[in-house]
Amino acid sequence: MRLITHNMLQCHVKGCTTNNFPLQIQDAELETLEAEFNPGFVQRLIPKLHWGALYHTAVSLGIEDLPEQMPEEVTEDLLRAIHKVALETRVKEGKAVCLGCGHVYPISNGIPNMLLQDNEV
Amino acid sequence: MSTPAAAAGQQPEQLEAQHVHAVYDLIADHFSATRYKPWPVVDSFLREQPLGALGADVGCGNGKYLGVNPDVVMLGSDRSAKLVGICRERGFDAMICDGLMLPYRSSAFVRLRSDFAISIAVIHHFATPERRQHAIAELLRIVRPGGSVLIFVWALEQESQSRRKFDQQDVFVPWKMPKRIYAAGGAGAEGPAADGTASAAPAERTPDEVYQRYYHMFVAGELDALALATGMCSITASGYDRDNHYVILERRP
Ligand SMILES: [Zn+2]
Repeated sequence: MRLITHNMLQCHVKGCTTNNFPLQIQDAELETLEAEFNPGFVQRLIPKLHWGALYHTAVSLGIEDLPEQMPEEVTEDLLRAIHKVALETRVKEGKAVCLGCGHVYPISNGIPNMLLQDNEV
Repeated sequence: MSTPAAAAGQQPEQLEAQHVHAVYDLIADHFSATRYKPWPVVDSFLREQPLGALGADVGCGNGKYLGVNPDVVMLGSDRSAKLVGICRERGFDAMICDGLMLPYRSSAFVRLRSDFAISIAVIHHFATPERRQHAIAELLRIVRPGGSVLIFVWALEQESQSRRKFDQQDVFVPWKMPKRIYAAGGAGAEGPAADGTASAAPAERTPDEVYQRYYHMFVAGELDALALATGMCSITASGYDRDNHYVILERRP
């Protein structure tokens, strides 16, 4: 799971409406899959990102490449950092935990399982 | 052609679990080997999306549409863990989830929603009108106002291949898996076109495995009506292509 995908996910357990985003990644094993850097592409992506979620998730995974606040001026260095963090960094193993209801979504072999049990829907 | 037990009182959830989810997990490798050519309408829809657009492919199967346009970010998802695994092997990013409950960010973040979504050959697997409409509403929910949704479903009116004729809308469609190719241990190694000479030898001939997939075959106009019934969209385009009905929807503010 790329971090940009994580940036889009929220808990969907029935009745879980507060603190359901972002999911906290725990016990993570990361991997990197290189992707071609396209500055224009990353620039267009920025407005779609929830910056706080991306920043705090990255920090929680030991990635310090991003500034806490989205800078006014977008430099190539920043675009490269976003590219690396959001598009190339993937969670291979671990779990995504909802801080609102405590639900655990397992991530195995790079794949998050977002299915719920019958009593959760 | 057999008839689904839906009429005989089976719950839609059970029917889908047994005749959609379980079947796709069993046939995933064989299915994937036969699904590689993007359909032209889907292909051009994806290529028309602007640089940096964010899109969801709900029911992405083996991921054949996840790499069509490298200038967009695609979020793939499927109910079949096996098919999602195939996406992963191909280097794509996909997750396992249910089409009636997409785990994407809520309406509280309008500007952060997807720019578009596609659902290709998926919604015909839901076993009631309510569930099919719900699936369409989910696609619209995750898309920003003004964003678009492309949906393909199988048509009752089959033109290209006379071998498929349906006299009713809710049917089982058999998936035939040749044992000679997908015998234990060899699964996934070859495509269905790989034809060993061994199959000609009667001694080695084993019966094909046949799995029944549930389909609701849409009639002309049905998909459009179902989409409009959500109250969440207008119809940008609709048509018939390769034995399928399709619509392109625009999400209302
Ligand atoms: Zn939750």
